[in-house]
Amino acid sequence: MDSAMNTNPYLSPKMKMADAINQYHSLLTVLPRLGIPLGFGEKSIEQLCTEQHVSLPLFTLISRVYIQTDYYPSIEELRQCPMNDILQYLQQSHQDYLENKFPHIEQHFNALLEPMDKKYSTLIVNFYKEFKKEVVKHFQYEEKVVFPYMRQILSENETDNGEHHHKSAFQQQHDDIEDTLNDLTNLLLKYIPAEVSSSERVDMLLDMYALSNDIGKHAMMEDRILLPYIQYLESQSHD
Amino acid sequence: MIKIAIAEPSQMLRNGLADLLRDVPDTEVVFSTDNLNALFSRMPALHADILIINPLLFEYSHRATLRAEFDNHPELRLIALVTSYLESQHLRQFSGIIELNDDLQRVKSTINQVVNTLQSDGDEPDTDPLSDREKEVLICLSKGLKNNEIADTLNISVHTVITHRKNIVRKTGIKSVAALTVYAILNNLIEEKDII
Repeated sequence: MDSAMNTNPYLSPKMKMADAINQYHSLLTVLPRLGIPLGFGEKSIEQLCTEQHVSLPLFTLISRVYIQTDYYPSIEELRQCPMNDILQYLQQSHQDYLENKFPHIEQHFNALLEPMDKKYSTLIVNFYKEFKKEVVKHFQYEEKVVFPYMRQILSENETDNGEHHHKSAFQQQHDDIEDTLNDLTNLLLKYIPAEVSSSERVDMLLDMYALSNDIGKHAMMEDRILLPYIQYLESQSHD
Repeated sequence: MIKIAIAEPSQMLRNGLADLLRDVPDTEVVFSTDNLNALFSRMPALHADILIINPLLFEYSHRATLRAEFDNHPELRLIALVTSYLESQHLRQFSGIIELNDDLQRVKSTINQVVNTLQSDGDEPDTDPLSDREKEVLICLSKGLKNNEIADTLNISVHTVITHRKNIVRKTGIKSVAALTVYAILNNLIEEKDII
């Protein structure tokens, strides 16, 4: 049987990791979450995955979500992946957003808001605070409800006993996070006057575009991997 | 982001087209398939804006009325991917046509034309600032009024309120009421004290 990677038109296991990243640099955020450190020299994707104990099908799955916007993995592909590792990855992503990505954007805030009319800067700060609160709440819901349920159903599937809960109706609302981030981006891009040399604003916008893209991929992973797989497992436990 | 779905039996064409579309800004291929069953089972969840479809996927007897198959998606625009001769009356059901020997430029302009019909419900170009009516709706929104309350206040129908709201979102690129409120204050449409 073809491994998932062989059918991937964009990456192959023999490809150098450095070449893959140079070509698809949004993958750069994926590596630390999988525990793959930089400085990997000429090693191939396959070599690095083996060395760092990362499942190759998992790496492939995540990379394809990043690279290929129309990618919907089949159940077969999902079954090759250690689902617990995917949960681990998603949780790492949350941590990365909260501990690195958001604080990074917040660092730009002070310099950005200082020259601004106090009336406006307060508005922006409050808007951002509300948004951040929603994000944290959403992540917590996933970590306290969705992921544990997923782990439970996975372990039940292995032992194949116990009663089954059917909660496939988890509603993922990452769209809201992306939308609000885009709203903020547009306010800063279009409507708040700035100095010509507002490099701080430009840096902040670049960070926000990158974060928005990454959160979009995160949402795709939940919509196209997690939910279909929960549904699949639930349908299995009917038999 | 304009969401595009592709339905085309040939894998080569499907992938090739998806590749070309990567160079068309603000578009995203959200789904591609070689058959109608997969397409129709996926359609409800896709929220695609544009479907590029080979009309040959439909049997001849259904081709003349194929647009009706998408009645559940009135906002969806169809683009025909034409790989062999098709009757012009069949092609009239499509908002645009892509032919096999179209180059990237041509494909881009076809998509852009269709995208433009998608973005402007009327004939207004996107660069217009908000109209007076839209500003009034925005002010009501910022004050926390609901659609029916806005309709009553401005003496217009709820449907018209919704149309204005769509136009506001399209022009500003801002979706949430919270951010629109910030926009209204920045543009001196309302005072901060007016917000509940």
